[in-house]
Amino acid sequence: MTGAPVPEPGGSPDTPAGAPGTSPVASLKPARPRWRETLGLLARNPTAAVASVVLLLIVVVAVFDDTFAPEGANEISVTDRLQSPSWAHPFGTDDLGRDILSRVILGASVSLKVGFLAVGFALVAGTMIGLLAGYYGKWVDDVLMRFMDMLFAFPAVLLAIAVLAVRGPGSGNTALAIGIVYTPIFARVTRASVLGVREEVYVRASRSVGASDWRILTRHILPNAAPPIIVQTSISLAFAVLAEAALSFLGLGTQPPNPSWGLMLAEGRGYIELAWWLAFFPGMAIFLTVLCFNLLGDGLRDALDPRQRTLMAGGGK
Amino acid sequence: MSSDVLVSVRGLEVHFPVRGEGIRKKGAGVLRAVDGVDLDILRGETLGLVGESGCGKSTLGNAVLRLIPSTGGSVHFAGTDVTSVGGKGLRELRRRAGMVFQDPFASLDPRRTVAQTVSEPLEVHGLRSGRRERAARVGELLELVGLDPAVAGRYPHEFSGGQRQRVGIARALAGEPDFLVCDEAIASLDVSVQAQVLNLLRRLQKQLGLTLLFISHDLSAVRHISDRIAVMYLGRIVEIGPASAVGSDPQMPYTQALLSAVPLPHPALERERKRIVLRGDVPSPSAVPSGCRFRTRCPYVFEPCDDVDPALQPAGAAGQQAACHLHGVVGTPVERTPEGVTAEP
Repeated sequence: MTGAPVPEPGGSPDTPAGAPGTSPVASLKPARPRWRETLGLLARNPTAAVASVVLLLIVVVAVFDDTFAPEGANEISVTDRLQSPSWAHPFGTDDLGRDILSRVILGASVSLKVGFLAVGFALVAGTMIGLLAGYYGKWVDDVLMRFMDMLFAFPAVLLAIAVLAVRGPGSGNTALAIGIVYTPIFARVTRASVLGVREEVYVRASRSVGASDWRILTRHILPNAAPPIIVQTSISLAFAVLAEAALSFLGLGTQPPNPSWGLMLAEGRGYIELAWWLAFFPGMAIFLTVLCFNLLGDGLRDALDPRQRTLMAGGGK
Repeated sequence: MSSDVLVSVRGLEVHFPVRGEGIRKKGAGVLRAVDGVDLDILRGETLGLVGESGCGKSTLGNAVLRLIPSTGGSVHFAGTDVTSVGGKGLRELRRRAGMVFQDPFASLDPRRTVAQTVSEPLEVHGLRSGRRERAARVGELLELVGLDPAVAGRYPHEFSGGQRQRVGIARALAGEPDFLVCDEAIASLDVSVQAQVLNLLRRLQKQLGLTLLFISHDLSAVRHISDRIAVMYLGRIVEIGPASAVGSDPQMPYTQALLSAVPLPHPALERERKRIVLRGDVPSPSAVPSGCRFRTRCPYVFEPCDDVDPALQPAGAAGQQAACHLHGVVGTPVERTPEGVTAEP
């Protein structure tokens, strides 16, 4: 007979090297979680590592702002108006004698809260819409994505202004407005990623053993479609902080006297020739945060790239 | 007879719409991947399905399990109509009929461990309650396919092709199926590993009393593992019969050509071997020839071949059937258009 396979030796015929006699109880837990591998790869990228550390610092400061801020946000001191940076007031004081350092620290929580809320909203809504559109296709795809296109066709600031005009200004509504504006971006990124994963053989394999659509979507498609969504999240956080600043600058976001970086920038504008520090320090805070989110996004893009993964994890030092 | 039939395929068709180019995309034609297949798979047997790439054998295998929707005909699995069953019935079908895929690098989710992959059917069908029971069952399944249960926590990229295919087989077996479709299950493995996996499948088939549909383009592998062989050409079964008969004395000119292409492992015999080289290429499944679909390449073509689509009829050994007018003209006459081709342009 042609092509006859090698005869089976007695006993366990086709057991490859290993220890077949060990306990048949297998652990269902992975030996090494994926996220740890990703973190390891991220740590090898110096730029992204520094950006992550700086972001972590910013977040810690924002969370414990009351502890870090030397003074309250609205402690007015008429005698200390428009003081230039000094030991007593490292970032100087504004036209009402409020400590700028304290306001930048307290503003961090406002700016970041709006950023995280907005991106959180866009992430959840956009990912769900993208998943459904990409997985089910046909009319579901048409209806959902045309709706997203309509949102997308609106100028972002105009849409945000419309939302705020209806619901009134304030941090929460600002976050909602920015979230709605960013939803189509997440929907598109997710849909594109899902379209690729949907056709994978392992999805068909999962269906062949009887897995439900829900199971396939949550256990197979979403985890494999996630990398571009994660990158988009990081980059969107940068844009959301900027958008919050822009809306507050226009007077639609955070309302005075609450501190927010964009609002402080707007308030400092009038004194730019007289006291540069009013606008400079909140501007620097925005710049640093946005830069770090962008650098982290770039680093994540590289760390989550499967080709990078095999190159670095496989051929590691 | 009928009580022995586990899977019964009648007039199965899988047609795909072909999109035209440019603005007018509709009505450009159909691609007849599977075009009227009748097939019975007996309980406990291994049926080999061979054919060139593009002949529709994988599509047939997928349509039998309803992983691809069929456009006509019926498939009955142990009495239930696969093409119309839904809900609980469909889930039961998914448990009782599994599939082993061609490419073990693509068929395992890279983000899930071996244990998660193999235990998926257990969770879906609620076959083992509790983590510990499932983990124990995963260990058993891994041992069954010749893997060390200690590897359960690893990811697919840490395995070789042969090991991955074993994981794929373990997943297919987890639901304790009666029926397994092996879709080119050894085609993308190294030759030495092919033999191991082939032997594994044969052992499992005997041990678990499985019914196998073994799809392959490798006639020698199919001959090795199968009880019966079905030969597919351009979406249709053209010959079927006991493996020994089809593998040594084929009655259909196409099978003869296929068989003549298999090298013989004996120098003297190999020198004597006469190859039947077919003329031309396989016609496109979107423009199937009228009459006998093999007539454009057949060395024996004669009058009825143009006009009558041959049906399977007894030829050669007992149980052997071939769709060829050389064994007597039987079949459906073809209505002819002036161009002589019935397929849409």
